[in-house]
Amino acid sequence: MHDKFKDKEILLEIRDLKIEGYSDETWVPIIKGVDLTLHRGEVLGLIGESGAGKSTIGAAAMGYARDGTRISEGSIEFDGMELTTASESERRMLRGSRIAYVAQSAAASFNPSHKLIDQHAEAPVHYRIKKRMEAQEDAMQLYEQLRLPNPREIGFRYPHQVSGGQLQRAMTAMAMSCRPDLIIFDEPTTALDVTTQIEVLAAIRDIVDEFNTAAIYITHDLAVVAQMADTIKVLLKGEEVEQAPTQQMIDNPQEEYTKSLWAVRSFNSPQRYRPTDGSDPLISVQNVDAAYTGGIKVLDDVSFDIYPGMTVAVVGESGSGKSTTARCITGLLPPMSGQILCKGEPLPPRYKDRTRDQLRQAQMIYQMADTALNPKVRISEIIGRPAQFYGGLHGSDLKQRVDELLDLIELDPVQFYSRYPPELSGGQKQRIGIARALAAEPEFIICDEVTSALDQLVAEGILKLLDRLQDELGLAYMFITHDLATVRSIADEVVVMQHGKVVEQGPKDEMFKPPHHPYTDLLLSSVPEMDPEWLTTVLEERGVDNIGEAADR
Amino acid sequence: MSIFVIVYYAALIGASCLAAFYKQRGVFMLIFSLTLVSFVLGIIGGAGALRLVATAAGVLALAAGTSYAFREFLIQISRPNLAKELRTAPLTAAFGMFVIFTYAIAGIFAPWIAPYGEAEVIGQAFAPPDQNMLLGGDQLGRDMFSRIIFGARNSVGLALMATLLAFVMGAIAGLLAAVKGGWFDQLMGRIADVIMSIPSLIFALLMLSIFGTGLQVIVIVVAVIYSPRVFRLTRAVAGNIVVMDYVEASKLRGEGDWYLVRKEILPNATAPLIAEFGLEFCFVFLLIAGLSFLGLGIQPPTADWGSMVRENATLISFGDITPLIPAGAIALLTVAINFVVDWMLFRTSGLKEQ
Repeated sequence: MHDKFKDKEILLEIRDLKIEGYSDETWVPIIKGVDLTLHRGEVLGLIGESGAGKSTIGAAAMGYARDGTRISEGSIEFDGMELTTASESERRMLRGSRIAYVAQSAAASFNPSHKLIDQHAEAPVHYRIKKRMEAQEDAMQLYEQLRLPNPREIGFRYPHQVSGGQLQRAMTAMAMSCRPDLIIFDEPTTALDVTTQIEVLAAIRDIVDEFNTAAIYITHDLAVVAQMADTIKVLLKGEEVEQAPTQQMIDNPQEEYTKSLWAVRSFNSPQRYRPTDGSDPLISVQNVDAAYTGGIKVLDDVSFDIYPGMTVAVVGESGSGKSTTARCITGLLPPMSGQILCKGEPLPPRYKDRTRDQLRQAQMIYQMADTALNPKVRISEIIGRPAQFYGGLHGSDLKQRVDELLDLIELDPVQFYSRYPPELSGGQKQRIGIARALAAEPEFIICDEVTSALDQLVAEGILKLLDRLQDELGLAYMFITHDLATVRSIADEVVVMQHGKVVEQGPKDEMFKPPHHPYTDLLLSSVPEMDPEWLTTVLEERGVDNIGEAADR
Repeated sequence: MSIFVIVYYAALIGASCLAAFYKQRGVFMLIFSLTLVSFVLGIIGGAGALRLVATAAGVLALAAGTSYAFREFLIQISRPNLAKELRTAPLTAAFGMFVIFTYAIAGIFAPWIAPYGEAEVIGQAFAPPDQNMLLGGDQLGRDMFSRIIFGARNSVGLALMATLLAFVMGAIAGLLAAVKGGWFDQLMGRIADVIMSIPSLIFALLMLSIFGTGLQVIVIVVAVIYSPRVFRLTRAVAGNIVVMDYVEASKLRGEGDWYLVRKEILPNATAPLIAEFGLEFCFVFLLIAGLSFLGLGIQPPTADWGSMVRENATLISFGDITPLIPAGAIALLTVAINFVVDWMLFRTSGLKEQ
């Protein structure tokens, strides 16, 4: 236990908690006996992969079990009150007033048809803690403390009128509206860009400190939790792995699993360089401008080259035109001007005008494996179709090719041949997506945020696989990502984009060395590091008032 | 006070005590409120009203029992995957399936089940029910029961054909419109708008007066009237699927439209389409019955429920329920299909019961 909190009063105590979920007509254990002690003012970080039961424990701390789950055993004691046996109305009295919850997607959690401040004032007015005007006045003060721009007016906007990072801060303010004893943050920054994440993190940390609120901070990002938490608890498949104060946990993890989590960011592929014999690049994007129908220009004079066998990482925050560039290359969005060359020959702008061989050259792997694989088609056909379509394979040749591809992505052909995508895990689905791209025997693959929806351990596996395939098959990758850790591990060259323009480009080793373009610098310095003091240091360097705001237009 | 009334109340009170003892809150509230209502009913309507309540409850219990048994039967005979789905079916859906099953049997084996031919005159006009004619005779002295059985074949078969045709036309147009987009989508959409803007019954009457009342004409006209609805649903469902990444991946591979429709979109759109099929079938059935009632549908002497209602309509003023029997057959089938469709919609929408 953290020394700082040892003598403080215990706020939440969970003992031997077991939660079961209903599936396939039986109750399956989700949480298998977890203990948790939280003192007043303490911030506990819960980390683990998806499915580890982090969010379930977070909800249980409010005495809440989601639909289809039930708390089967154990006790949850909040400030002397046993929540498992309390009546529904007693528990409801706690929620919002003494325990608050901040959800992952603020955009989906705010009601789009009410103003922010009205939603903010709802809980205090409902619990008769404050009058409406008082609550609104308080909201404005909180907005100011959370460094929202224009704090006296921003509350009178509707949720769609403010940006994602601001919305997440407004939600934190809302959670604070009744000055609760405990706030549960369920992945509050996962959906945000690094540059926006930093301001939300700083805001949350300050306000939690100021009101001495206890918090449970749920995330899968170790670097983030290192900034926020006093104590870290690691979960795996519904069981606790270990728990220790932050500094100790980072410096000296005890368990194998924790060590493997910590080691994730260490993967590094050796850097390759452009061929010096003056050969043509595989794909050359030249002065491309593009816009969606009737809209403003999304791409403005974008140019870069991709050489055979190399990985070019395209980085930038959301809306910077990374994916649009990919759409131009594949021909889904014909550019307004400029051209795309493949081995020195211009590609027709529209994919419908391209020949089968041109289409085969460039394959794509998608971010969301869920939507990238047809749920009603067998794996064998998903992978087999490109081989059949381009290679004209049939019968036993086709089956052999599919087996070969499954071997290549390290999945057992016997087991996966005739299964459907919904039966697979996220990482396995992503591997099938890779196999589908490989089946076309391309020379160039566009990877659109392929690891951002995956857990770190799984993402690491995918990166290693992609790197191995690159060496074996001589593939070139265009790697679209907003995660600089990924760039560091896999890229050979980096292209930084902002507002549809290429800000800076060059080989990786040069890009990660100063001097940088200011925007590159901002991106680089916003990536959380494992050092618990990192956030404090960055804030000091940048000055408290303009963290992250430099990224705004 | 008759014995029946005493037994009636004793049974109700006994049942409510048992329910209360076994802590079946819902059942108890139901039975006991029925007891309280029965006090009032008994005072106003006497033993007759109570007998009616008892009969209704008996019929309901019988239907529930049949549905339960039928569902168990289906679970027993179907494959494991299907059996798992069936287990989630509510009793209403099982009842619906049972009714549909019965109608199908009646329709398919009509000539063997019906004691007489559909056009055979065997007794007096409007003969009362007897051992020979289970439901009495119609306005020409034909056996009502036989005609109901044959009607299941004619009316339901015709409606089924029309719905299938409407679905083939509407679904193909909708899927292609979603995939192709652009002018094809616009053209199809506007054609659908034009058809939908004309009141369906009037359009059908017009077309049937122009082209005559042959079976093919009825099927085609009804299919044309209902295909725009199918088109709109299919296009909406497919529109959500077309934007998926897997469809994009297929497009980039260079696949043709027909492959996209067949392999990528259709398998993901079947569930809502099947539910819609049940719903549309009801409307088509009612439209055809309506046309027959107006004399423009299936022509005599072919037995058809819609025209049977009209032909025997005069009887209703003599307090005879004969014309209500075919009407009841139509209503029962419609309700049954809706029960099944409700269950399917519930499953596809992924709603959870609270």
